[in-house]
Amino acid sequence: MTERANIYAPFRVTLEKVIDESPLIKTFVFVPEKEFRFKTGEFIELTLDGVGEAPFTPSSSPLVTDRFDVTIMKAGYMTEKMHRLKPGVVLGVRGPYGRGYPLDQFIDKEILILSGGCGLAPIRSLLYMLIDMEDQLRKVVLCYGSKTPEDCVYKNLFSELDRLDKFETMRTVDYADTHWGEHVGVATVLLDHVKVDLPNAVAVVCGPPVMMKYGTMKLLEIGFPDHDIYLSMEKNMSCGLGKCGHCMMGRYFVCRDGPVFTYDEIKDQPDIW
Amino acid sequence: MGKYYQLGKDAWDDALSGLTCDHRVYAPLVHGESQDYELIDKDLVRKIVYNVPKPSTPLKIFLLPVKENVSAGVPKNVPVIILGVPGCDLFALDLLDAFYLDEEYPDLYYAQRRQEFLLIGTDCHFSDAHCHCTSYGLNPYPSKNQDMGVSLINDKVWLSVYTEKGGDLLKKIQDITPLRFFGEDVPAEMEDIRQKVRKEIEANNRRLPNYQETTHVVMNAAYEKWERHVERCVSCGACAAICPTCTCFLLIDRQGFEKIRQLDACQYPGFERVAGGEDPLKKMDKRFRNRYFCKYLYRPEKYEAIACTGCGRCITACIGDINKNELLTELTNDG
Ligand code: SF4
Ligand code: SF4
Repeated sequence: MTERANIYAPFRVTLEKVIDESPLIKTFVFVPEKEFRFKTGEFIELTLDGVGEAPFTPSSSPLVTDRFDVTIMKAGYMTEKMHRLKPGVVLGVRGPYGRGYPLDQFIDKEILILSGGCGLAPIRSLLYMLIDMEDQLRKVVLCYGSKTPEDCVYKNLFSELDRLDKFETMRTVDYADTHWGEHVGVATVLLDHVKVDLPNAVAVVCGPPVMMKYGTMKLLEIGFPDHDIYLSMEKNMSCGLGKCGHCMMGRYFVCRDGPVFTYDEIKDQPDIW
Repeated sequence: MGKYYQLGKDAWDDALSGLTCDHRVYAPLVHGESQDYELIDKDLVRKIVYNVPKPSTPLKIFLLPVKENVSAGVPKNVPVIILGVPGCDLFALDLLDAFYLDEEYPDLYYAQRRQEFLLIGTDCHFSDAHCHCTSYGLNPYPSKNQDMGVSLINDKVWLSVYTEKGGDLLKKIQDITPLRFFGEDVPAEMEDIRQKVRKEIEANNRRLPNYQETTHVVMNAAYEKWERHVERCVSCGACAAICPTCTCFLLIDRQGFEKIRQLDACQYPGFERVAGGEDPLKKMDKRFRNRYFCKYLYRPEKYEAIACTGCGRCITACIGDINKNELLTELTNDG
């Protein structure tokens, strides 16, 4: 037998920095023990030693290979422990896994991105790639929704994007405070304010399941064809290898066939949302 | 095609006793009403049963132990012989191989065992409760994935050889006892029994649907059917544990970045639950349906390998008396 790697064995990464994004969301900057390459939209399995392993999509630019960011919302046992970590601790990583965003399909297009909550994490990585290929794009519109102004992540990202010619951003919150000067309401309301050149546009959706569902419906209503809506699916990817079965979505293993799918690919599978 | 050899039962027992010195030999023994694989020593050789359908444990468990540390190096195994594997379990290897020998991500633990373990298949000389391999177009005798075959007919042992590994073992046997070579055609007396048993199983199951055509029946079944049939399910997961083709597992973390691969089942609550709490299979009827969707839609769509061999173990194992054959017959008759 030729020497093959053990598919279950993680490599090591050291936590360099923790950035508070919102009361529930933090970004963790990791330094990998070896150069780490991934494509935008692919995910990793992050191991907190002795505690557990969970899938995350890096939120940093794939063009940087000596560091990567993972933005994590406190949602359960493992993420709560993650939020208590201090720089210097060593974690494990397997991956990258799956099929990310097909950037070549985005060339010469308008890209309408709908994102909510912590779903902006994978999107930030995508945005870095879109910035890199700005010359080849028509325009990029980012619609982002969070619960409150305080819950809005990557606050600097929006001003950075707004400075770029082809990028436009819009934000909304479910509950505004007196300082909030932008939109109010669920993320999908922003789509009412977007003008798209449908034949030359694609849509990307990434956020909590309810937003994915209603966002997709709204995009269909606007006239996007099924195959031009890209969805980043969150399922229980456990092994990442297309074996353990926990992320089955109908006939797909989200970990290998996804996590990015077109709506066309998954619309007939049961219980996708 | 195999090469067939014959020897007397006593000579075979002697040869096998010899092999137990430097191999771990597993073979079926009978306990009460059931039979299962056991580690064989010299004293047990004579108690091995031949051509009895279906050990309780599927072959899968030798290749994918229920719980295994998959962090340490792949262990070097003492040479292992698994004797008396029924044809259905050998067929089931196709799907396990598709998962675990997958080119991009091979599971080294499975791969090593698959490479090292010597599998000796056996014809079924009668059928057991719920055996229905023929409704999947399979036969009650092995026709692939075996290194050797063994059958006991009229107190004579027939050995057949299919692979290089099997050939090597045959040489070792020949060193202990002489063998008569019979040629490459299935011996007539063996063929007679094969046909008799095949007909018997076909007759026992003549009312079952043709399982090569069940996909649309399962796909189009009214949801109430699943709701009704799930009433007796208690989510114990026995059907998956006992199934020779179920592949699902859980990775458990241990200190020191160790991972334990533990067999799992889609019937357990929380199987697909994500960190945010959403769970597509939260309801028991969804989990129940998922098992059938998996076997008759998802796996067949994606893999060439068969996802149910008709071994019937899940029917025997179910404490709620859920019988997949009754369920699918009902769905077929409705459709
Ligand atoms: S589903 Fe039941 S009958 Fe089919 S292979 Fe699995 S245990 Fe055997
Ligand atoms: S999803 Fe269920 S039926 Fe399918 S292989 Fe896994 S445990 Fe078996």
